[in-house]
Amino acid sequence: MDKLTIFLHITIFTISIGLLGCSADRSSSGNELLYWSSNNTYEIEFARAMVKSWNKQNPQVNIRFQPVPEGQSSEEVILAAVVGETTPDIYSNMWQGDVESYARAGVLIPLDTLDGFLDYINERCDKRVIEEITSTDGHIYQIPWKINPIMLIYNEKLLSQIGFNQPPRTYEDFLEAGRRFHKDTDGDGYVDRWIGYAEVVVTWWQRFFDFYPLYLAASKGKALIKDNEVVFDNQDAIDVFRFLRKLYANNYFSLERLSARQDVFLSGIIATRFTGPWEIRHAERFKPKGFRYSFSTIPVPSDTLQNIYTYGDPKNIVIFNTCDNPAQAWQFLKFITNKQNDLKFLQMTRQLPRRKHLAKDSTFASFFDNNPKMIPFARQARYVKGTDSSPVLKEVFDIISREYEACVVYGEKSAKQAVRNAAEAARLIVR
Amino acid sequence: MLLKKKHIAPYAMVSPYIIHFLAFIAFPVIFSLVLIFHHWNIIAPMEYVGLDNFYRLFHDKLFFKAIGNTLIFLIIHIPLQIIIALFLAEVLNQKIKLRGFFRAAFFLPVVISGVVVTYLWQQLYGYDTGLINRILVNLGLGRVGWIINPDMAMPSIAFMATWKNVGLYVVLFLVGLQSVPPHYYEAADLEGASHWQKFRYITLPSINPTIFMVVILSTLGGFSLFIEPYIMTGGGPLNSTLSAMLYIYKQGFFFYHMGYAATLGFFFALIILIVIIIQRKVVERES
Repeated sequence: MDKLTIFLHITIFTISIGLLGCSADRSSSGNELLYWSSNNTYEIEFARAMVKSWNKQNPQVNIRFQPVPEGQSSEEVILAAVVGETTPDIYSNMWQGDVESYARAGVLIPLDTLDGFLDYINERCDKRVIEEITSTDGHIYQIPWKINPIMLIYNEKLLSQIGFNQPPRTYEDFLEAGRRFHKDTDGDGYVDRWIGYAEVVVTWWQRFFDFYPLYLAASKGKALIKDNEVVFDNQDAIDVFRFLRKLYANNYFSLERLSARQDVFLSGIIATRFTGPWEIRHAERFKPKGFRYSFSTIPVPSDTLQNIYTYGDPKNIVIFNTCDNPAQAWQFLKFITNKQNDLKFLQMTRQLPRRKHLAKDSTFASFFDNNPKMIPFARQARYVKGTDSSPVLKEVFDIISREYEACVVYGEKSAKQAVRNAAEAARLIVR
Repeated sequence: MLLKKKHIAPYAMVSPYIIHFLAFIAFPVIFSLVLIFHHWNIIAPMEYVGLDNFYRLFHDKLFFKAIGNTLIFLIIHIPLQIIIALFLAEVLNQKIKLRGFFRAAFFLPVVISGVVVTYLWQQLYGYDTGLINRILVNLGLGRVGWIINPDMAMPSIAFMATWKNVGLYVVLFLVGLQSVPPHYYEAADLEGASHWQKFRYITLPSINPTIFMVVILSTLGGFSLFIEPYIMTGGGPLNSTLSAMLYIYKQGFFFYHMGYAATLGFFFALIILIVIIIQRKVVERES
């Protein structure tokens, strides 16, 4: 054996050992399925309870559960798993905006090909939701599972002090509330109290908490991208940009990042915020004595006061194509998303199952009676939208975000120009 | 046979490095060269696109703005770094009280995580509650939008980076200063040279190699500007702190345009190489 051969043997042996060590523990087979949930504490508890109950009732198919492994974000972990072909069989925290890319890459099972899926989805969701989750190839790769609608939280006491016994529901009212509320409280010549706050950073997903819910509210749920066409170059988007620009131009919203401070809403530095139902647990835990708050719909132009939409921040369930037994995985999905288990999910996590008639369904009535703060979200659930099906959705939101900054935050260009520029740039990448 | 056995041990000993080199240096470099000619979003198969990524690069205004921003950072950061580091080194080279303490104190930020330093300065730069603006207001001056004003944001980041790194260059300059033969200064004293004349005509020429090293290190460090804008401003306001590295990172790991990110990286590496060669020529000519 010459020196080179020995060297190559050692190298190959060492690399092989390394790669073996890197391969994931993904030993699921037809009779055992691997299920990843979100790593949110409450969802872990829920998933554990579900898996325990399923395994007890179905000894022939064992579900093995683990929360999605830690990473910078669950999206990155899933991506790494897809690349390494170490995906679980079932994953229940898939952001709707990512599904189209995975579907096009062929790593997801088209659920509409499974027995009984179409009956199930029609029973669970209305036509609008089914249309929303249908991919551009006509298949459905996801079960709409949970939503956290973005609404307006408001400080009842502070608003009543400026003459608003009802939350501001229109742009006009909101701007007036901003005018009355913004103040230089310590007399140093600078405003230090604002009607609201949105993160002033260009990160694409920040627009899910300001521009996008306002756009959905103003447009009654219109799409940004439809059938691979950019369709947000419209008056609704311009109105939203104009409204937000007025908030910044008049100093009703803070230009400075306030997120590193103590909670600015609970400490009365701002009187409103666009947020989701997760705020309830936080507020109940940390609110000062006598603090009263409630939730309202997202502000809209004054002619749009009915059926106000918002962004629902949906997370859905998918089956990866590495699954050896999709039929059994589908049975498990039906089990964890049945009405009783949706109720358990609601009780344990305080997140809303995405199913029709949630606010009216008697199964959930006692929960909402005991948790009245959740009622506005349950009512809003009928009017939520997720994201459009596009593999370049993040880039489109990045483009919108940059124009948002230029127009809304710094007033460098008009609302009309910003929306037009965003649409033109988006058209170049949406094909 | 015995001879051959003797040769196994050295190869076995260097194999960990060879494996590391192959896996983490050679393979990524070769792979990124392949990526330049492909579209690849990680999850779908690669698609050969020829020079499409280069076409996109030369039409990408934002990337060139990011390069411009990086150069602005370097133009502010490098002279500031050299002047402050040289001044501090000169002071710390004198027999002053608590010299050891100050040497350690100026070096401390170097060993603190960049993320921690950035969060700390983010608080200091705060418009409404930041300590710097509070002091300015107490002095009867106006507030400054350190990181919310597009014209101020990059200089603010450059100043913060200087604060973070200056300790390292102080140490380098101290070494340089201590290597200047003392009899040069004794001769200059006999001739009646002023402190400035001694600094200008003895110290500066003597530490020229150190200055060159500091310029090279600062340039390389400056070109890789990433953590500060990523955490502090996200590249804003109005893309004024979007550095080239941050832009490449976004293309690669936000949008998964791996082929395009590799092309940007390749092009940017060429720019760095050219700048370093020019710097080297200039410093060589000066010395």
